[in-house]
Amino acid sequence: MNHIHPLVKLLLNLYYITLAVSFHRYDVEGLLAMFIYPVACFIIGELSLRDALHRLRVVLPVVCIVGVFNPIFDHTVVGYVGGVAIWGGVVSMITLMLKGILTVFATYILIATTSIEGICYALRLLHVPKMIVTQILLIYRYITVLLAETKRITQAYALRAPGQKGIHYKAWGPLVGQLLLRTMDRADDLYESMLLRGFNGEFPQGKPKRQSAGDVIYLLFWVILLFILRTYPVLTLIGGLFV
Amino acid sequence: MHMADALIVPAVAGTMYVASTLAAGKSVKEVRLENDTKKIPLMGVMGAFVFATQMINFTIPGTGSSGHLCGGMMLSALLGPYAGFLTMIGVLLVQCLFFADGGLLALGCNVWNMAFYGCFVGALLIWRPIMKKGASKGKIILASMLGCILTLQLGAFSVCLETLISGVTELPFSVFVMTMQPIHLAIGAVEGLITSAVLVFIHEARPELLWGTEGTAEGKLTFKNTLVVLGVLAAAIGGILSLFASSFPDGLEWSIARITGDTELEAAGGAYDVFASIQDKTSFLPDYAFPGSESAAGTTVSGLVGALIVVGVCVGASYLFKFFKNSKKEAVNE
Amino acid sequence: MSHIHVDVEHLSFAYEKNTPILKDITFHAHENDAIGIVGANGAGKSTLLKLLVGLDMRFEGSIRVEEIPLSNETLAKVREKIGYVFQDSDAQLFMTTVEEDVAFAPRNYGLPEDEVQRRVDKALDKVHIEQLRKKPIYKMSGGEKKLASIATILSMTPDVILMDEPSVALDPKNRRNLIHVLNEFDHLKMIASHDLDFILDTCNRVILIDHGEIIADGEAREILTNEELLEAHGLELPLSLYGR
Repeated sequence: MNHIHPLVKLLLNLYYITLAVSFHRYDVEGLLAMFIYPVACFIIGELSLRDALHRLRVVLPVVCIVGVFNPIFDHTVVGYVGGVAIWGGVVSMITLMLKGILTVFATYILIATTSIEGICYALRLLHVPKMIVTQILLIYRYITVLLAETKRITQAYALRAPGQKGIHYKAWGPLVGQLLLRTMDRADDLYESMLLRGFNGEFPQGKPKRQSAGDVIYLLFWVILLFILRTYPVLTLIGGLFV
Repeated sequence: MHMADALIVPAVAGTMYVASTLAAGKSVKEVRLENDTKKIPLMGVMGAFVFATQMINFTIPGTGSSGHLCGGMMLSALLGPYAGFLTMIGVLLVQCLFFADGGLLALGCNVWNMAFYGCFVGALLIWRPIMKKGASKGKIILASMLGCILTLQLGAFSVCLETLISGVTELPFSVFVMTMQPIHLAIGAVEGLITSAVLVFIHEARPELLWGTEGTAEGKLTFKNTLVVLGVLAAAIGGILSLFASSFPDGLEWSIARITGDTELEAAGGAYDVFASIQDKTSFLPDYAFPGSESAAGTTVSGLVGALIVVGVCVGASYLFKFFKNSKKEAVNE
Repeated sequence: MSHIHVDVEHLSFAYEKNTPILKDITFHAHENDAIGIVGANGAGKSTLLKLLVGLDMRFEGSIRVEEIPLSNETLAKVREKIGYVFQDSDAQLFMTTVEEDVAFAPRNYGLPEDEVQRRVDKALDKVHIEQLRKKPIYKMSGGEKKLASIATILSMTPDVILMDEPSVALDPKNRRNLIHVLNEFDHLKMIASHDLDFILDTCNRVILIDHGEIIADGEAREILTNEELLEAHGLELPLSLYGR
């Protein structure tokens, strides 16, 4: 998985997410079939399901808040299970959650198997301006540095302000302001260090990666398979052979 | 306020991508025109700064809860609208790729809702006109409060529109809007307070760092006047909102307030609780899934059997693939 | 390599008119010099180094690197010859992995990719961190970051290396390792530091600066053992010389 061309993985990710969210809101079955892609990737790529589930914590609550009202408003009966009527609202709430899970998993697969340089390289191939790609690289690099600094400054605050839950409003300006000034000074140093190494406004591009036949086959395989899953109720068809 | 991939349909995502791309193209062009290579590292480090400050808990006086910073308005007050916008795109991209906040498909929406309003509207229509004749403490507070509140209102409204056009929620439009807007009024107010505190500090320490304040004449706006203006504004907005709010059914209002009212404002724990309660409500389904096989249920069973078979084949095939891949690796190693 | 030398003559510098940072600095550095620039906090050590690489051009006097006078026109040429290692490694290393960072300068100078890779290999080898090649920078220790910082300079194949407080925040083992690595280099080195033990272990010549002026310029051991001189300018004898 790690050796597949980053552009292939990025495009596949977008394609998959687009297909997944385009399912009708009552189409639980179709969405279930879409699990094939993440399941296969998790097994082949030996990815951690725990990490992926952990990532859901940000997205799922938001999706749920939006979806939870559907059962209240949509009482269209779409079927019966054991004599109990199933409301369309309940089904659409479930599909919404499924979509949430699938899309996060797909993004997780992209990130877990692709380096930041790989993703930025793919973005460059898609003609995303260098300026934006450079932002990603720099932000990614300096998050940890600034988080460490923020931690130091808030800890120093907490040690002298026992029993306070957060930062008192009187300290908002000076505390964040100091951090901001230090950040800008750091940006000055950084700029000098870039200048001394021949920086002239744009980051140089690294070595190009070759696309192999394997990449194309991998892409085609998933594009076709996912397209079939999107167009036909595959699960019902296969199940119908046995029931 | 991040939109998730799951909440939009491709058509909406595509439209918003086009809109955001146009704004980004314009910004790249403008920043290139400035020809200030120093901005490149500054933007990157400031983006990381926004991340870092989002981790700080700001105690909101008199409430016991805490607020967080989103950063669009602050960035554009320091970098200008164009560089600020590009920095926000960087932040949102990193959030979506590495923190699973939002998603690649929803990126166009998120850039528009959070970065476009904050940077273009906030900086060009609010910050710059107010700072035209030079900055002062009062004007900074006014611009920050106005900017944060207004841009968050616009952002929240866009979220409503995008979600409703996508048709993923059955919530009536008016109800959704009336839920989103007041919540984001509070969030915007807190963000405005934090932003003004920081910018006032910068104004006192290193005034040259603020964007668009070249004018030398001190403005007439005093601190007191600012508070008066803000007070009138808040009262007006509050009045209009309560007028709207009183015109829809009580029961629903209560249920919305119960579910969404305290999730966004409080810590992550609140959202978790909501999630857990939703899980409880939906867990009745498995109990009823087995007996009976009439009409609709028939296809459901076929679907389930099909799912089991496909999963079985898929998992088996994947393991086989892995087995061969690994044995090939070993063969190479030997 | 032909005669590598740096000539500084009557160099003065001030941010504001009446508060000079450097006053009439003159010295000549030659091929085999390893010069320690010592002085108390605020003496002007860092400023001097930054002027040598043209990070501020508002100075008076002249700076020549291998006979090229430093000016806006020759800036790029001079910077190819001089590498500057920042005190803060996090400012020096701005790419995501060591490999990318070391390749930054050669790529900027438009070298072909195989030459870039060759230079990266060589630079990493010189500071013995070949194994860190793919390591993300945020996962590295202070000592590793310092060595990687030096590698990012070496990939430009400079003739002169300037270092600002290289031993700050290094533990004893990393510090020893850094001394070892630096002593292997055949570059002209200039190291600004108030860590006099470090200077004693890496330099053969010392320039003592106080309040922007050169107080003494001579053989390292001679100056660093002169307790009276050091104490008069806010410094103390290197620890290793106590009790001898």
